[in-house]
Amino acid sequence: MALSSFTTPSGFLLPSIHSAPPFFTEQPNPRTQAQFTAQWTRLILTYARHRKLFMLRVEDAEVAGGDWDEILRNERINRRILPSHLSSLLDTMVASEQAAFEPPKQSRAAIIYWRTPEEWADALHAWAVATGQLNTILTFYEIADPPVPSPLSGIPIPLLRRAVTFLVKSNRAQIISVADGEGVRLFAAK
Amino acid sequence: MHRLGGVGLAAFDRQQQSHRSFAELSSELSKAQVDHLQIQLTQFRSALTHFATTHREHIKKDPAFRHAFQRMCVSIGVDPLAGPRKGGWWAEMLGIGDWQYELGVQIVDVCVSTRERNGGIIEMSELVRMVSKLRGVESGVITEDDVVRSIKTLEPLGAGYEVINVGNGRKMVRSVVKELDEDQAIVLAEAALEGGVIVEGTLERKRGWTRERARAALENMLLRDGLCWVDEQDPVHGRSYWVPSAMRWEE
Repeated sequence: MALSSFTTPSGFLLPSIHSAPPFFTEQPNPRTQAQFTAQWTRLILTYARHRKLFMLRVEDAEVAGGDWDEILRNERINRRILPSHLSSLLDTMVASEQAAFEPPKQSRAAIIYWRTPEEWADALHAWAVATGQLNTILTFYEIADPPVPSPLSGIPIPLLRRAVTFLVKSNRAQIISVADGEGVRLFAAK
Repeated sequence: MHRLGGVGLAAFDRQQQSHRSFAELSSELSKAQVDHLQIQLTQFRSALTHFATTHREHIKKDPAFRHAFQRMCVSIGVDPLAGPRKGGWWAEMLGIGDWQYELGVQIVDVCVSTRERNGGIIEMSELVRMVSKLRGVESGVITEDDVVRSIKTLEPLGAGYEVINVGNGRKMVRSVVKELDEDQAIVLAEAALEGGVIVEGTLERKRGWTRERARAALENMLLRDGLCWVDEQDPVHGRSYWVPSAMRWEE
Protein backbone atom coordinates (compact mmCIF):
# COMPACT_ATOMS: atom_id res chain seq x y z
CA MET A 1 0.00 0.00 0.00
CA ALA A 2 1.29 3.41 -0.90
CA LEU A 3 1.43 6.27 1.56
CA SER A 4 0.24 9.36 -0.16
CA SER A 5 -0.74 12.89 0.66
CA PHE A 6 -4.45 13.67 0.99
CA THR A 7 -6.58 16.76 0.62
CA THR A 8 -9.14 17.15 3.41
CA PRO A 9 -12.70 18.47 2.91
CA SER A 10 -11.50 21.87 4.19
CA GLY A 11 -8.91 21.94 1.39
CA PHE A 12 -5.85 21.23 3.53
CA LEU A 13 -3.12 19.05 2.02
CA LEU A 14 -2.05 16.41 4.54
CA PRO A 15 1.54 15.16 4.10
CA SER A 16 2.05 11.47 3.29
CA ILE A 17 3.39 10.77 6.79
CA HIS A 18 -0.16 11.41 8.04
CA SER A 19 -1.28 8.20 6.35
CA ALA A 20 1.39 6.13 8.14
CA PRO A 21 -0.19 4.37 11.15
CA PRO A 22 2.87 4.66 13.45
CA PHE A 23 2.74 8.45 13.12
CA PHE A 24 -0.13 8.30 15.64
CA THR A 25 1.90 6.44 18.27
CA GLU A 26 4.40 8.16 20.54
CA GLN A 27 7.72 6.54 19.58
CA PRO A 28 9.96 5.05 22.28
CA ASN A 29 13.13 5.88 20.31
CA PRO A 30 13.95 9.50 21.22
CA ARG A 31 15.50 10.31 17.86
CA THR A 32 12.49 8.98 15.99
CA GLN A 33 10.13 10.80 18.31
CA ALA A 34 12.04 14.07 17.84
CA GLN A 35 11.51 13.67 14.12
CA PHE A 36 7.80 12.92 14.57
CA THR A 37 7.41 15.84 16.95
CA ALA A 38 8.92 18.20 14.37
CA GLN A 39 6.47 16.90 11.77
CA TRP A 40 3.50 17.15 14.12
CA THR A 41 4.47 20.69 15.11
CA ARG A 42 4.71 21.78 11.50
CA LEU A 43 1.38 20.10 10.78
CA ILE A 44 -0.36 21.81 13.71
CA LEU A 45 1.02 25.24 12.79
CA THR A 46 0.14 25.01 9.10
CA TYR A 47 -3.32 23.62 9.82
CA ALA A 48 -4.00 26.34 12.39
CA ARG A 49 -2.98 28.94 9.80
CA HIS A 50 -5.16 27.30 7.16
CA ARG A 51 -8.25 27.25 9.36
CA LYS A 52 -7.34 30.33 11.44
CA LEU A 53 -7.60 28.29 14.61
CA PHE A 54 -6.14 29.77 17.76
CA MET A 55 -6.76 27.29 20.57
CA LEU A 56 -5.68 23.68 20.78
CA ARG A 57 -6.82 21.62 23.77
CA VAL A 58 -5.85 18.15 24.95
CA GLU A 59 -9.55 17.35 24.94
CA ASP A 60 -9.55 17.85 21.15
CA ALA A 61 -7.80 14.48 21.09
CA GLU A 62 -10.29 12.97 23.54
CA VAL A 63 -13.58 13.70 21.82
CA ALA A 64 -14.34 13.70 18.13
CA GLY A 65 -16.24 16.49 16.43
CA GLY A 66 -13.85 19.37 17.15
CA ASP A 67 -12.10 21.75 14.80
CA TRP A 68 -8.91 19.71 14.77
CA ASP A 69 -10.31 16.32 13.73
CA GLU A 70 -8.86 16.50 10.24
CA ILE A 71 -5.30 16.31 11.55
CA LEU A 72 -5.70 14.65 14.96
CA ARG A 73 -7.57 11.73 13.42
CA ASN A 74 -7.23 9.70 10.27
CA GLU A 75 -10.43 7.77 9.67
CA ARG A 76 -9.04 6.23 6.48
CA ILE A 77 -6.54 4.19 8.50
CA ASN A 78 -8.54 4.26 11.73
CA ARG A 79 -5.90 6.01 13.83
CA ARG A 80 -5.95 9.03 16.13
CA ILE A 81 -3.45 10.83 18.28
CA LEU A 82 -3.79 9.97 21.95
CA PRO A 83 -4.34 12.73 24.53
CA SER A 84 -1.04 12.02 26.30
CA HIS A 85 0.81 12.32 22.99
CA LEU A 86 -0.91 15.62 22.15
CA SER A 87 -0.14 16.86 25.65
CA SER A 88 3.59 16.26 25.19
CA LEU A 89 3.45 17.93 21.77
CA LEU A 90 1.90 21.00 23.41
CA ASP A 91 4.68 21.00 26.03
CA THR A 92 7.30 20.96 23.29
CA MET A 93 5.61 23.72 21.32
CA VAL A 94 5.30 25.93 24.40
CA ALA A 95 8.95 25.28 25.28
CA SER A 96 10.01 26.43 21.81
CA GLU A 97 7.65 29.44 21.89
CA GLN A 98 5.44 28.18 19.10
CA ALA A 99 2.51 28.18 21.52
CA ALA A 100 1.59 29.51 24.96
CA PHE A 101 -0.55 27.87 27.61
CA GLU A 102 -3.80 29.76 28.05
CA PRO A 103 -4.86 30.30 30.73
CA PRO A 104 -1.36 30.15 32.20
CA LYS A 105 -0.39 27.66 34.91
CA GLN A 106 -2.09 24.69 33.30
CA SER A 107 -1.06 22.53 30.39
CA ARG A 108 -4.24 21.28 28.76
CA ALA A 109 -4.95 24.20 26.44
CA ALA A 110 -2.70 26.53 24.49
CA ILE A 111 -2.78 29.37 22.00
CA ILE A 112 -1.03 28.24 18.84
CA TYR A 113 1.39 30.83 17.51
CA TRP A 114 0.93 30.34 13.78
CA ARG A 115 2.00 33.96 13.81
CA THR A 116 4.32 35.15 16.55
CA PRO A 117 3.12 37.96 18.84
CA GLU A 118 5.59 40.27 17.01
CA GLU A 119 4.01 39.36 13.69
CA TRP A 120 0.55 39.99 15.16
CA ALA A 121 1.77 43.38 16.36
CA ASP A 122 2.80 44.30 12.82
CA ALA A 123 -0.49 42.96 11.43
CA LEU A 124 -2.45 45.03 13.95
CA HIS A 125 -0.53 48.18 13.13
CA ALA A 126 -0.86 47.63 9.39
CA TRP A 127 -4.60 47.07 9.78
CA ALA A 128 -5.03 50.30 11.79
CA VAL A 129 -3.09 52.23 9.15
CA ALA A 130 -5.04 50.70 6.26
CA THR A 131 -8.43 51.39 7.86
CA GLY A 132 -7.56 54.89 9.06
CA GLN A 133 -7.86 54.13 12.76
CA LEU A 134 -4.61 55.64 13.96
CA ASN A 135 -4.87 57.97 16.97
CA THR A 136 -8.37 56.80 17.88
CA ILE A 137 -9.10 54.67 20.89
CA LEU A 138 -9.96 51.07 20.03
CA THR A 139 -11.14 48.58 22.61
CA PHE A 140 -9.63 45.10 22.51
CA TYR A 141 -13.05 43.74 21.68
CA GLU A 142 -13.40 46.06 18.68
CA ILE A 143 -10.09 44.73 17.39
CA ALA A 144 -10.85 41.05 18.02
CA ASP A 145 -14.40 41.26 16.71
CA PRO A 146 -14.59 44.11 14.20
CA PRO A 147 -17.79 44.82 12.24
CA VAL A 148 -15.86 44.34 8.99
CA PRO A 149 -13.81 41.10 9.15
CA SER A 150 -10.08 41.81 9.44
CA PRO A 151 -6.91 39.73 9.59
CA LEU A 152 -7.28 39.98 13.37
CA SER A 153 -10.84 38.70 13.62
CA GLY A 154 -11.04 36.10 16.34
CA ILE A 155 -7.65 36.78 17.91
CA PRO A 156 -7.71 35.75 21.58
CA ILE A 157 -7.43 38.73 23.95
CA PRO A 158 -4.30 37.42 25.74
CA LEU A 159 -2.49 37.14 22.40
CA LEU A 160 -3.73 40.59 21.37
CA ARG A 161 -2.43 41.98 24.67
CA ARG A 162 1.02 40.53 23.99
CA ALA A 163 1.02 42.00 20.49
CA VAL A 164 0.05 45.42 21.84
CA THR A 165 2.88 45.20 24.37
CA PHE A 166 5.33 44.98 21.47
CA LEU A 167 3.79 48.08 19.89
CA VAL A 168 4.01 49.96 23.20
CA LYS A 169 7.70 49.07 23.46
CA SER A 170 8.36 50.51 20.02
CA ASN A 171 6.31 53.66 20.75
CA ARG A 172 3.62 52.74 18.28
CA ALA A 173 0.81 52.28 20.83
CA GLN A 174 -0.46 53.37 24.21
CA ILE A 175 -2.68 51.26 26.45
CA ILE A 176 -5.72 53.09 27.74
CA SER A 177 -8.29 52.01 30.31
CA VAL A 178 -11.79 52.28 28.98
CA ALA A 179 -15.15 51.70 30.61
CA ASP A 180 -15.64 48.13 29.40
CA GLY A 181 -12.09 46.84 29.70
CA GLU A 182 -8.90 47.63 27.88
CA GLY A 183 -8.28 49.85 24.92
CA VAL A 184 -5.39 50.97 22.84
CA ARG A 185 -4.44 54.02 20.82
CA LEU A 186 -2.16 53.36 17.87
CA PHE A 187 0.30 55.87 16.44
CA ALA A 188 2.11 56.12 13.15
CA ALA A 189 5.57 54.59 13.24
CA LYS A 190 8.16 57.15 14.24
CA MET B 1 83.63 55.62 -33.76
CA HIS B 2 82.51 52.11 -32.96
CA ARG B 3 79.12 51.08 -34.36
CA LEU B 4 77.22 48.66 -32.15
CA GLY B 5 77.48 45.29 -33.77
CA GLY B 6 79.96 46.57 -36.29
CA VAL B 7 79.70 45.85 -39.94
CA GLY B 8 80.15 42.87 -42.24
CA LEU B 9 79.51 39.14 -41.94
CA ALA B 10 80.82 38.94 -38.37
CA ALA B 11 78.19 41.46 -37.30
CA PHE B 12 75.47 39.28 -38.83
CA ASP B 13 76.70 36.32 -36.77
CA ARG B 14 76.79 38.42 -33.61
CA GLN B 15 73.16 39.50 -34.18
CA GLN B 16 72.07 35.90 -34.64
CA GLN B 17 73.87 35.09 -31.42
CA SER B 18 72.00 37.69 -29.41
CA HIS B 19 68.65 36.53 -30.86
CA ARG B 20 69.40 33.06 -29.60
CA SER B 21 70.34 34.37 -26.17
CA PHE B 22 67.08 36.24 -25.86
CA ALA B 23 65.11 33.21 -26.97
CA GLU B 24 66.86 31.10 -24.35
CA LEU B 25 66.19 33.61 -21.64
CA SER B 26 62.54 33.79 -22.57
CA SER B 27 62.02 30.03 -22.51
CA GLU B 28 63.83 29.88 -19.19
CA LEU B 29 61.44 32.44 -17.77
CA SER B 30 58.33 30.64 -18.94
CA LYS B 31 59.73 27.35 -17.68
CA ALA B 32 60.15 28.94 -14.25
CA GLN B 33 56.53 30.04 -14.35
CA VAL B 34 55.33 26.60 -15.33
CA ASP B 35 57.43 25.05 -12.57
CA HIS B 36 55.95 27.48 -10.10
CA LEU B 37 52.47 26.58 -11.19
CA GLN B 38 53.30 22.89 -10.90
CA ILE B 39 54.50 23.42 -7.36
CA GLN B 40 51.32 25.24 -6.44
CA LEU B 41 49.24 22.51 -7.98
CA THR B 42 51.14 19.85 -6.07
CA GLN B 43 50.67 21.78 -2.86
CA PHE B 44 46.96 22.16 -3.48
CA ARG B 45 46.64 18.50 -4.27
CA SER B 46 48.53 17.42 -1.18
CA ALA B 47 46.49 19.82 0.95
CA LEU B 48 43.35 18.25 -0.40
CA THR B 49 44.67 14.75 0.18
CA HIS B 50 45.73 15.80 3.65
CA PHE B 51 42.26 17.15 4.33
CA ALA B 52 40.68 13.94 3.09
CA THR B 53 42.94 11.75 5.20
CA THR B 54 42.83 13.78 8.40
CA HIS B 55 39.08 14.12 8.22
CA ARG B 56 38.47 10.60 7.00
CA GLU B 57 37.11 9.44 10.33
CA HIS B 58 34.92 12.47 10.61
CA ILE B 59 33.71 12.02 7.06
CA LYS B 60 32.99 8.40 7.80
CA LYS B 61 31.13 9.00 11.05
CA ASP B 62 29.21 12.19 10.51
CA PRO B 63 26.72 11.98 7.65
CA ALA B 64 26.05 15.71 7.59
CA PHE B 65 29.78 16.48 7.38
CA ARG B 66 30.21 13.86 4.70
CA HIS B 67 27.40 15.35 2.71
CA ALA B 68 28.88 18.85 3.06
CA PHE B 69 32.33 17.61 2.02
CA GLN B 70 30.98 15.99 -1.10
CA ARG B 71 28.97 19.08 -1.92
CA MET B 72 32.05 21.25 -1.54
CA CYS B 73 34.03 18.99 -3.82
CA VAL B 74 31.40 19.35 -6.50
CA SER B 75 31.11 23.09 -6.20
CA ILE B 76 34.85 23.72 -6.59
CA GLY B 77 35.07 21.08 -9.26
CA VAL B 78 38.31 19.58 -8.16
CA ASP B 79 37.90 16.33 -6.55
CA PRO B 80 36.26 13.10 -6.53
CA LEU B 81 32.83 13.74 -7.67
CA ALA B 82 32.96 16.08 -10.62
CA GLY B 83 36.52 16.46 -11.84
CA PRO B 84 36.68 18.93 -14.72
CA ARG B 85 38.43 16.52 -17.04
CA LYS B 86 38.35 12.82 -17.66
CA GLY B 87 41.30 10.78 -16.55
CA GLY B 88 42.32 13.22 -13.82
CA TRP B 89 44.14 12.29 -10.69
CA TRP B 90 41.06 11.30 -8.74
CA ALA B 91 39.67 9.46 -11.70
CA GLU B 92 42.91 7.47 -11.87
CA MET B 93 42.64 6.68 -8.22
CA LEU B 94 39.02 5.69 -8.31
CA GLY B 95 38.62 4.59 -11.87
CA ILE B 96 35.37 6.22 -12.92
CA GLY B 97 34.17 9.06 -15.06
CA ASP B 98 32.36 12.28 -14.25
CA TRP B 99 28.94 10.84 -14.86
CA GLN B 100 29.48 8.19 -12.27
CA TYR B 101 30.72 10.76 -9.79
CA GLU B 102 27.67 12.89 -10.23
CA LEU B 103 25.45 9.90 -9.80
CA GLY B 104 27.39 9.18 -6.62
CA VAL B 105 26.69 12.67 -5.31
CA GLN B 106 23.03 12.28 -6.04
CA ILE B 107 22.89 8.90 -4.34
CA VAL B 108 24.47 10.50 -1.28
CA ASP B 109 21.98 13.32 -1.53
CA VAL B 110 18.97 11.01 -1.57
CA CYS B 111 20.36 8.78 1.17
CA VAL B 112 21.13 11.70 3.47
CA SER B 113 17.88 13.54 2.89
CA THR B 114 15.73 10.47 3.50
CA ARG B 115 17.77 9.18 6.43
CA GLU B 116 15.55 10.80 9.04
CA ARG B 117 12.58 8.86 7.89
CA ASN B 118 14.18 5.55 7.00
CA GLY B 119 16.97 5.24 9.53
CA GLY B 120 19.66 5.08 6.86
CA ILE B 121 18.39 2.14 4.86
CA ILE B 122 16.64 2.64 1.58
CA GLU B 123 15.17 0.16 -0.84
CA MET B 124 17.04 -0.01 -4.15
CA SER B 125 14.04 0.65 -6.38
CA GLU B 126 13.05 3.63 -4.26
CA LEU B 127 16.60 4.99 -4.47
CA VAL B 128 16.68 4.56 -8.25
CA ARG B 129 13.31 6.26 -8.51
CA MET B 130 14.37 9.25 -6.41
CA VAL B 131 17.74 9.64 -8.13
CA SER B 132 16.01 9.58 -11.51
CA LYS B 133 13.62 12.25 -10.27
CA LEU B 134 16.56 14.35 -9.06
CA ARG B 135 18.24 14.11 -12.44
CA GLY B 136 14.98 14.75 -14.23
CA VAL B 137 15.25 11.64 -16.34
CA GLU B 138 12.63 9.05 -17.07
CA SER B 139 12.66 5.75 -15.26
CA GLY B 140 14.91 3.18 -16.86
CA VAL B 141 17.65 5.65 -17.77
CA ILE B 142 19.37 4.91 -14.50
CA THR B 143 19.61 1.28 -13.58
CA GLU B 144 20.28 -0.60 -10.40
CA ASP B 145 23.59 -1.55 -11.92
CA ASP B 146 24.64 2.10 -12.28
CA VAL B 147 23.77 2.70 -8.66
CA VAL B 148 25.69 -0.37 -7.50
CA ARG B 149 28.75 0.73 -9.50
CA SER B 150 28.56 4.28 -8.21
CA ILE B 151 28.37 3.06 -4.66
CA LYS B 152 31.38 0.83 -5.27
CA THR B 153 33.40 3.78 -6.55
CA LEU B 154 32.52 5.76 -3.44
CA GLU B 155 34.21 3.07 -1.37
CA PRO B 156 37.77 4.52 -1.43
CA LEU B 157 36.36 7.67 0.12
CA GLY B 158 35.35 5.66 3.13
CA ALA B 159 31.77 6.82 2.90
CA GLY B 160 30.51 3.50 4.21
CA TYR B 161 27.72 3.02 1.71
CA GLU B 162 26.80 -0.58 1.11
CA VAL B 163 24.38 -2.62 -0.97
CA ILE B 164 22.69 -5.39 0.98
CA ASN B 165 20.84 -8.34 -0.47
CA VAL B 166 17.80 -9.09 1.64
CA GLY B 167 16.66 -12.11 -0.35
CA ASN B 168 14.01 -12.61 -3.02
CA GLY B 169 16.23 -10.57 -5.32
CA ARG B 170 15.54 -7.43 -3.30
CA LYS B 171 18.35 -5.03 -2.56
CA MET B 172 18.68 -2.26 -0.06
CA VAL B 173 21.30 0.44 0.30
CA ARG B 174 22.67 1.24 3.70
CA SER B 175 24.19 4.66 4.29
CA VAL B 176 24.90 4.44 8.01
CA VAL B 177 28.00 2.85 9.40
CA LYS B 178 26.25 0.17 11.31
CA GLU B 179 26.36 -3.58 11.10
CA LEU B 180 23.11 -5.14 10.05
CA ASP B 181 22.74 -8.56 11.58
CA GLU B 182 21.16 -11.52 9.84
CA ASP B 183 17.89 -11.30 11.74
CA GLN B 184 17.48 -7.66 10.83
CA ALA B 185 18.04 -8.47 7.16
CA ILE B 186 15.27 -11.06 7.38
CA VAL B 187 12.95 -8.56 9.07
CA LEU B 188 13.65 -6.07 6.29
CA ALA B 189 12.89 -8.68 3.64
CA GLU B 190 9.62 -9.76 5.27
CA ALA B 191 8.51 -6.19 5.87
CA ALA B 192 9.23 -5.33 2.24
CA LEU B 193 6.76 -8.04 1.17
CA GLU B 194 4.00 -6.49 3.29
CA GLY B 195 4.41 -2.86 2.30
CA GLY B 196 6.56 -2.13 5.32
CA VAL B 197 4.54 -3.57 8.18
CA ILE B 198 5.75 -6.51 10.24
CA VAL B 199 4.51 -8.28 13.37
CA GLU B 200 6.07 -10.95 15.57
CA GLY B 201 3.57 -13.53 14.32
CA THR B 202 4.73 -13.21 10.71
CA LEU B 203 8.29 -14.06 11.68
CA GLU B 204 7.13 -17.03 13.76
CA ARG B 205 4.89 -18.40 11.04
CA LYS B 206 7.03 -17.84 7.97
CA ARG B 207 10.51 -18.17 9.42
CA GLY B 208 9.92 -20.52 12.32
CA TRP B 209 11.34 -18.07 14.83
CA THR B 210 10.46 -18.21 18.48
CA ARG B 211 8.40 -15.31 19.79
CA GLU B 212 11.36 -14.15 21.90
CA ARG B 213 13.68 -14.04 18.92
CA ALA B 214 11.16 -12.08 16.88
CA ARG B 215 10.52 -9.65 19.69
CA ALA B 216 14.23 -9.12 20.36
CA ALA B 217 14.98 -8.44 16.70
CA LEU B 218 12.09 -6.00 16.34
CA GLU B 219 12.65 -4.18 19.62
CA ASN B 220 16.36 -3.78 18.82
CA MET B 221 15.53 -2.26 15.48
CA LEU B 222 13.02 0.02 17.16
CA LEU B 223 14.91 1.16 20.24
CA ARG B 224 18.58 0.73 19.49
CA ASP B 225 18.83 1.42 15.77
CA GLY B 226 15.80 3.56 14.96
CA LEU B 227 15.23 1.42 11.87
CA CYS B 228 11.53 0.93 12.48
CA TRP B 229 8.52 2.60 14.06
CA VAL B 230 5.89 1.13 16.34
CA ASP B 231 2.13 1.36 15.88
CA GLU B 232 0.21 0.65 19.09
CA GLN B 233 -3.23 1.10 17.53
CA ASP B 234 -3.15 -1.89 15.19
CA PRO B 235 -6.72 -3.22 15.40
CA VAL B 236 -5.65 -6.80 14.61
CA HIS B 237 -2.26 -7.29 16.24
CA GLY B 238 -2.32 -4.53 18.83
CA ARG B 239 1.35 -3.75 18.29
CA SER B 240 2.92 -3.75 14.86
CA TYR B 241 6.21 -2.50 13.54
CA TRP B 242 6.73 -0.38 10.45
CA VAL B 243 9.98 -0.31 8.52
CA PRO B 244 10.08 3.07 6.77
CA SER B 245 12.66 1.93 4.22
CA ALA B 246 10.24 -0.76 3.06
CA MET B 247 7.20 1.50 2.98
CA ARG B 248 5.98 2.90 -0.32
CA TRP B 249 6.07 6.68 -0.19
CA GLU B 250 4.39 8.83 -2.74
CA GLU B 251 5.80 12.30 -2.71
